[in-house]
Amino acid sequence: MSMEIDNDQIEIIQEFVTESQDMIEQLEPQIIELGQNSDPETMNAIFRLFHSMKGSAGFLEFDHITRVAHAAENLLDLIRNGEIDLVPDHVSLLCSACDFAKDALEQVDSNYTDKMMAPAADEMSERLHQAIEVAKGGGATIAAEPEVAAPATEKPTASEATAPEPPVEEFSFPDELPKLEITDEMRLSFVQEGNELLQNAEQGLLAWGENPGDTDSIGDIFRQIHSFKGNCGFFGFSQMEKLGHQMESILDRVKSGSKLAIDNPADQLLAALDFLQQATNDVSDGKEGLIDNLEEHLHNLQLLVPPLLGEILVEEGVKPEAVAKAVETQKKPVGEILLEKGDASPGQVDNALKKQAANLKKAKAESKPVIRTKPPAKRQDIRVDLGKLDSLINLIGEMVIAENMLIHNPDLKGLELENFNKAGQHMSKLVRELQEMAMTIRMIPVSGLFRRMIRLVHDISVKAGKKVELELIGEETEIDKTVIETITDPLVHLLRNSLDHGLEPPDERVAAGKSEKGTVRLQARHEEGEVWVTVEDDGRGLNREKILEKAINKGLIEPEEAAEMKDRAIFNMIFAPGFSTAAQVTDISGRGVGMDVVKRNLEKIKGKIDVSSAAGGGTRIDLRIPLTLAIIDGMVVRVGTTTCIVPTLSILEAFRPVLEQITNTPDKQELAKVRDSFFPIIRLHEMLEKEPDSKNLDEGILIVLEYQDTHFCLLVDEILGQQQTVIKGLSDYIGNVSGVSGCTILGDGGVSLILDVGGLMESIENKATKLIQA
Amino acid sequence: MAEDKRYDNVQEEIDSEDTQKDKYLTFHLAGEDYGIEIQYVIEIIGIQKITDVPDMPAFIRGVINLRGKVIPVMDVRARFNLPDRDYDDRTCIIVVNIDETEVGLVVDEVSEVSDIPESNVEPPPKTGKGTGGQYIQGMGKINNAVKILLDVHKLLFSEEMMALIAKAQEDHN
Repeated sequence: MSMEIDNDQIEIIQEFVTESQDMIEQLEPQIIELGQNSDPETMNAIFRLFHSMKGSAGFLEFDHITRVAHAAENLLDLIRNGEIDLVPDHVSLLCSACDFAKDALEQVDSNYTDKMMAPAADEMSERLHQAIEVAKGGGATIAAEPEVAAPATEKPTASEATAPEPPVEEFSFPDELPKLEITDEMRLSFVQEGNELLQNAEQGLLAWGENPGDTDSIGDIFRQIHSFKGNCGFFGFSQMEKLGHQMESILDRVKSGSKLAIDNPADQLLAALDFLQQATNDVSDGKEGLIDNLEEHLHNLQLLVPPLLGEILVEEGVKPEAVAKAVETQKKPVGEILLEKGDASPGQVDNALKKQAANLKKAKAESKPVIRTKPPAKRQDIRVDLGKLDSLINLIGEMVIAENMLIHNPDLKGLELENFNKAGQHMSKLVRELQEMAMTIRMIPVSGLFRRMIRLVHDISVKAGKKVELELIGEETEIDKTVIETITDPLVHLLRNSLDHGLEPPDERVAAGKSEKGTVRLQARHEEGEVWVTVEDDGRGLNREKILEKAINKGLIEPEEAAEMKDRAIFNMIFAPGFSTAAQVTDISGRGVGMDVVKRNLEKIKGKIDVSSAAGGGTRIDLRIPLTLAIIDGMVVRVGTTTCIVPTLSILEAFRPVLEQITNTPDKQELAKVRDSFFPIIRLHEMLEKEPDSKNLDEGILIVLEYQDTHFCLLVDEILGQQQTVIKGLSDYIGNVSGVSGCTILGDGGVSLILDVGGLMESIENKATKLIQA
Repeated sequence: MAEDKRYDNVQEEIDSEDTQKDKYLTFHLAGEDYGIEIQYVIEIIGIQKITDVPDMPAFIRGVINLRGKVIPVMDVRARFNLPDRDYDDRTCIIVVNIDETEVGLVVDEVSEVSDIPESNVEPPPKTGKGTGGQYIQGMGKINNAVKILLDVHKLLFSEEMMALIAKAQEDHN
């Protein structure tokens, strides 16, 4: 790698890194799947991963990555061809190859070189080679083909990078490959790759069309078309494959310097390329990539390729072997050689030459100039800097507020403005749509995060000697990208805990009458205007007594308190820093750090954690995450001069109470009787420390709020109306405020607090415990 | 907002970045003159409606809407335990930005942008007693006048400060 790296190169390298990282992330779970069922499709996908990584790394001269990828590819190739059997060791080996690649990519990302990875690469490729050797030694029943065996023993070099043909190029033996079921994902990657190849080919052709003397570019175009054809064959798009093949033959002819019917067939090739592009677009729409009038296009292209003199000579009755020989020794025109040798008569050669000339003429006449109708390539996605996205979203948020201030401008009050109102409504609608769109941009499905956990669960279950089945539910649930990043660590810790402490070893499970295999469920779903991510296991559950004992030992609670504590309060203590009931610290968990991390990270995104557990029945932990920057439907309420927003989702009903409905308990808690239930009352003015219109309950409004399964009433002076509100975080400077989940900006430009129903509920509980203590 | 006009020339000086060195925005607070480094100042706005936030120490007056951004507002008088005074049309909010955090500072009156070269800045008095002392960066001299130069970073982020906020929240629970 040269020391000077310009910006272009950096860009290419960065692209390589992100692409490879994406691929690894995507494929790691599949590698683990491979251990369970080795279906050829997965196998091929993994093979492609290493193959493309090798290719790109080779091009960028990251030799160490190339080496390892190559070795991994060799191993996979052998397994795929059935020459060696897949053993669990191979899976872990491939996983560590992925790990190596991840490390190396990080190195590359920061230093633009993988030199530091040399020792790791040596070790890794050595291990892969050994695995191949071992497997070969054991399974020598199949005579390994020499050319496949060779790379296993040689030190791989960069020049060897193309030695084993990738599966995509075995188009001519489609029957040997197992019938593929093409998944949407594969289709997508085919389309993406295809678009890229076609685009490169097109650029090459355009450049060549302008500068026909440039024969170097032909080779490049040829390779693009060749790979594309290979992919088509692999996916079974035979029509596209045929057209690609025809183009390839023409390019091959050009490459070898033969004459074509016309001097420069770039236009015709471009036209053909357009048909391929069209077909690729069809594929992305889920169609089969058929090409209309394929025969005609093939014929048109065929016309460009006049038969070689030798071929015509054969037609004229000259022995094919003689022609072939002549072509081989060719220094003079084929015809002359044949004449000299007496293999062909002058008449035959003359005839042949005439025919060739006539053919050329005819072809020139028939191959009319083509008018290109270029279909645009379908763009699937685009990488955008997150910072740009954030400022866009912020701007849109500000626009919503500006729009509100404009439409509800106090200056307009009482004016008859029919047209203005119409325009205003239209604008409101557009702004709303724009905002909804902007919010979805940042949202990504949790599937990526969940799939990463497959690897983790696999590794831990092997280490801890437990049998685990990981169930993933709701992978399509979309969460804000930063939220996903924040909950990654918590999920890792929670899963570790479930596997290490929660699930029992197989024999213990059987003794307890459970199935040998434990189940861990990872679930994401929308609930109560939040996203809930749940980690649930069917293990032994939390040990109430042990937690209490530990808490008393650590001085978190007094022994006398213990008896009165509710399960929820007890379980919540596991989140205290340094709290661990594990008898011994394993290398997986037990130091009591994990749960603290979970709590801290959740606090960062204003999320909450609920723990429930049954002895012997398992543990369930809900991470409850607010949708950041969401709009909520809110009820605007007033206390004195202050307005607040109550999320409409939590509101059950509102009423003006009569004094008979109110009961005062000895511990100074006011209760309101609503039909047959009694609900505690929270006075909003007390919480906000404001002066209300009236402190008499029968002069205010009680709003019945629901939180999980508990209810309470909130006393306000007046309900002003319902409104869609944009949630804004209170400044980081202020931090979390209990009972307040954020704020919003009202039409008049004032800031209004959004009440957090769960937080209010907790404040009742706290008040109750304080009273008990006092 | 007509009252903002008065600060237009001040605003201009704030905007030109290359002239930021040794420049301080000076303001009045309870009869004394204070200054803060101009590089932290984003803008000056007239006093506007402040929304209370519960569980905050008294000197955090609440939050305001700064063109769609919600930023907290600190009353510097209350911060230094100076007697309260009603806000009037001279009261200003100086919006500062430190480490990407924007906070509004309520002061009695903004005066001007002054040039105070390093040589004219004396170290803070060693015996600084009271709440304000530790937030002083130095004493700036302009002719005979003295400006108390505040360390904005300490004013907003000192440990004592964060503890106060946390305490106020805990007390409520």
